[in-house]
Amino acid sequence: MLALQNSKSKPSRRHLFLALGRLNPSIKAMTVVLCVVLLSLAFDPVTIASALLLTLLMTWLFGNIAWNRWLLLFAPFLILALGYFWTAALFPREAIQPDSVLILSMGPFKMTNQSFQIALALCLRTLLFSALSLLFILTTDPVRLMLSLMQQCKLPPKLAYGILAGFRFLPLFREELAIMQRAHRVRGAGRIRRTPRSLLYAFKRYSIPLLAGAIHKSERAAVAMISRGFTGKSDRDFYTRVQITWRDGLFMALMLAIVAFSFGLSHFLGSLRWYNGEL
Amino acid sequence: MKTWKLRDIIVLSSLSVVFAVVYVLFLQVGNVLVGFMGPMGYEVIFGIWFIVSIISAYILQRPGAALLSETVAGVVELLIGNTTGPVLILSAFIQGLGAEAVFAAMRYRSYSTPVLMAAGMGSAILSFAWGFIHSGFAALSAGLLLAMFVTRMISSALLAGLLGKWIADSLARTGVLRSFPIAKTASAKQIRSKAEAS
Repeated sequence: MLALQNSKSKPSRRHLFLALGRLNPSIKAMTVVLCVVLLSLAFDPVTIASALLLTLLMTWLFGNIAWNRWLLLFAPFLILALGYFWTAALFPREAIQPDSVLILSMGPFKMTNQSFQIALALCLRTLLFSALSLLFILTTDPVRLMLSLMQQCKLPPKLAYGILAGFRFLPLFREELAIMQRAHRVRGAGRIRRTPRSLLYAFKRYSIPLLAGAIHKSERAAVAMISRGFTGKSDRDFYTRVQITWRDGLFMALMLAIVAFSFGLSHFLGSLRWYNGEL
Repeated sequence: MKTWKLRDIIVLSSLSVVFAVVYVLFLQVGNVLVGFMGPMGYEVIFGIWFIVSIISAYILQRPGAALLSETVAGVVELLIGNTTGPVLILSAFIQGLGAEAVFAAMRYRSYSTPVLMAAGMGSAILSFAWGFIHSGFAALSAGLLLAMFVTRMISSALLAGLLGKWIADSLARTGVLRSFPIAKTASAKQIRSKAEAS
């Protein structure tokens, strides 16, 4: 799973007019959050399905991402969405309206047209939000995100570089875990049985040394950074500047247009339903 | 932020990185559970997602440690592929705020087991309120919601509070935390003297 993070891999073949990977990460994150907030106001299948399809189109046109990776990350949310679907369809909170058409009856469970609509909206919502997020995650380079957070959002450099240092430990942790596994195997201590006690013991045997190593490494990294003149002051300069260009404005406008179009379409079809806690 | 030492920040963020990986793995566990039992699937293991606030607040014993570590874990989760998206940072912030409020109420002086468990439950309360707004909980029936809330509270007290304390104490016993505030608290001292005696 961790191999998914190097998003800067393959070079783009076709020239992209609006490459999502080259946008300003802060603006991109802001746009995605704004879309999620706006779309969470809607609670009908039409608005959400339309926004979902257009988001997928946007990802396909400008994302330049590997679809197998996209599917790998999206698949768990399909399962989640199904889980949401059946609980909301079979255990609706609202009293079932008498005029709502019964479409499924299975023993004590009854699914009406109305509860089906709500369940579908709830399930599509999960998929929409994860599609919007994947649009961000799979096109954003972690280092560029941190640089942009420092340069545009005034994140203190001490914190930003601290996070990056911690983030850089990730591959080291994996290596350390592999070494520990091998060491245990050499000494014949590698067997983990499926009893709770054995699992807890295995958890302790791996997690405590790993965390202790992490703390050691962090202390060393801090000493190394300070001794090389890292002060953590905000008035520093950067080798790489992450700019805001007209492309960022265009991306934001396009995404907001998607939201507006979805609401408009649903309103036009007469199916628009606002989300208010009373559901 | 000015009063924080760089060492503390890096320790906090590497703890957040480790637990961000744990969080993402548990998200998959949760997704499978949700497939079987509906929204209840998450609630059983929900406490695990608060554990880093408990551990780093207990180790660093500084104002802001709980809030910051949970938020950083949220950012890192985002970077390694949690598909909840940038909203996740806000969710993480809200969860951290719940734990932070409990530590603040104790004026950052007490880090006993009940306080750590209460901090986990503080995260549970705020995150549940957030779930209403963000995850569409309002569409579920009242009985199911109550069951979800109670399960989440218990899970948080055990998986965040107790497990977090156990991990931090085990770490203190290895000696790597000798220069951190946790080494001065009573329970760690007790453990150390016990270890030396045996």
